[in-house]
Amino acid sequence: MKLAVISCIHGNYEALNTVLADIDAQQAEQIYCLGDLVGYGPHPNAVVELIRSLDIPTCQGCWDEDIVEGLNACECSYPSQLAEKRGHIAHEWTNNVIHPEVREYLATLPMTLRLDNLCFVHGSPHSQHEYLLPSMDGFTALERVLSANAEVLFCGHTHVPYVRNLEDGNLGIRVQQPGQDESIAQVQIPLKRIINAGSVGEPRHGRPNATYVLYDTDTAQVSLREVPYNYQKTCADIIAKGLPPIFAWRLARGMEFAERADDPSHVCQR
Amino acid sequence: MKQTLTNSIALIAVAGPPGSGKTTWITQFLRDPQRPLFYCCPGMGSGSVDQAQIAYRFPGVHLLPEHQTPQIFADLPAQALVYLELGFHLDLTSPSLASLPCQRVAVLPAGLKESDWHDWADEVIPGNDLTVPAPNNLPELWRSPLTGQVFDAPSLDELLIELTGGAYGQVQRVKGIFELPDGRAFLVDFAEGLPGIAYTELNIPRWLEGRPDRFSGIEVVGWNLERATIAQTLLAGCLSEGAIAHHQEQYKSLISSETDQAETILA
Repeated sequence: MKLAVISCIHGNYEALNTVLADIDAQQAEQIYCLGDLVGYGPHPNAVVELIRSLDIPTCQGCWDEDIVEGLNACECSYPSQLAEKRGHIAHEWTNNVIHPEVREYLATLPMTLRLDNLCFVHGSPHSQHEYLLPSMDGFTALERVLSANAEVLFCGHTHVPYVRNLEDGNLGIRVQQPGQDESIAQVQIPLKRIINAGSVGEPRHGRPNATYVLYDTDTAQVSLREVPYNYQKTCADIIAKGLPPIFAWRLARGMEFAERADDPSHVCQR
Repeated sequence: MKQTLTNSIALIAVAGPPGSGKTTWITQFLRDPQRPLFYCCPGMGSGSVDQAQIAYRFPGVHLLPEHQTPQIFADLPAQALVYLELGFHLDLTSPSLASLPCQRVAVLPAGLKESDWHDWADEVIPGNDLTVPAPNNLPELWRSPLTGQVFDAPSLDELLIELTGGAYGQVQRVKGIFELPDGRAFLVDFAEGLPGIAYTELNIPRWLEGRPDRFSGIEVVGWNLERATIAQTLLAGCLSEGAIAHHQEQYKSLISSETDQAETILA
């Protein structure tokens, strides 16, 4: 079965529409969404309504959670004081325009979704706020996949797509207890994968194009898709809706900087 | 040969478009301790980034206040060598500048073959190869003192990327001196057409006791500059009193523990 995995739409209706059309053209049979439907972008309600109308299984992202529960992130959330102030403006704006039923829907979203040996999360199995960066320590990355009890872990949150194969996992376990011989066990871990879907609506890869992932459950083949869309329209809407024009400027350059995605060793304390 | 004010005092006026390398050309001569050295940047008042960076980098150079210039020239010591940096905003044909008995040096892009600077100069020095604004479309200059402000470094970085990338108008030149919470101050230099933004740490003592009481500031040259937004964004990157105190305590404690370690090793 061909799956499409999308993430981090951030109220960008134009990007979502274009990506859905591309998914249709690619003949994917099922779509999964990894959250962050809202925040920064000008059309949070429309994005949520479209996702709901298509009945796309969706997990809760950190921005979705913040709109439900209020801002409550640890210090990892922003790369700078400037970004934090802008993030608060975006949060306040979204919080003011969001429809009650949309907020209720966001509150119902699960932290994780599963399909056989696949697991879908926004950030990591531990938290919507934790980044699984491609440079994350291999052992820690492996632990995150194992903790999800999955062969393939799909995540988003970093806004940069990637595929990471964790091969030849071999753990040696030695246990010493008083009065007993040391026990030694070897655990051979088969190939695990982390697949990051990037971002539909707020790319951070230096170009404005939306990104998402296609995955074939039969062949395990992954395809990272990069889709041009009419970002100028989203930029114009950002300004027309009264959001800071700098959001449009950064969106047009693939320079989104919503949160801190530059420290692979950071473990969110939220 | 340099024209002179008197038999012993030399005045060198340096002009050129923004970013051509006027200050860089002058600074190569400021390490010469053979003569009393003076620097002046007319039209920029006392809050000029160039003036401040000269003062920080070359403490032996005397800064000349621009007002009462004739009197000051009269009082200069023998053998004084005066560098006068003339910004693009000054009219080189104005009576006060045209009448100055000086050597005229124009620092110009090599590709520029004809200009008012060529007509004015005694000597043309090849500078950075930049696009020179048309005389009928001169850029505006926006400047702001930042003395006492301390920046969150990642915020400053973001701001400068946005500013030089055109987020707040078309920018041709940015110069600034910025204070960071570890007490260091940096000179920031950007010219459109040259690669990157240059950050140079100034060799001055770390300021770790409250808000720095020494000059810092920014100058932006460009077109359609969104001055209010630039100012607001700068302020959004400045640290609060409490944050400054917190960072300074951390750095003082770090420096203290490094000193203790060094003493232990020596002992």
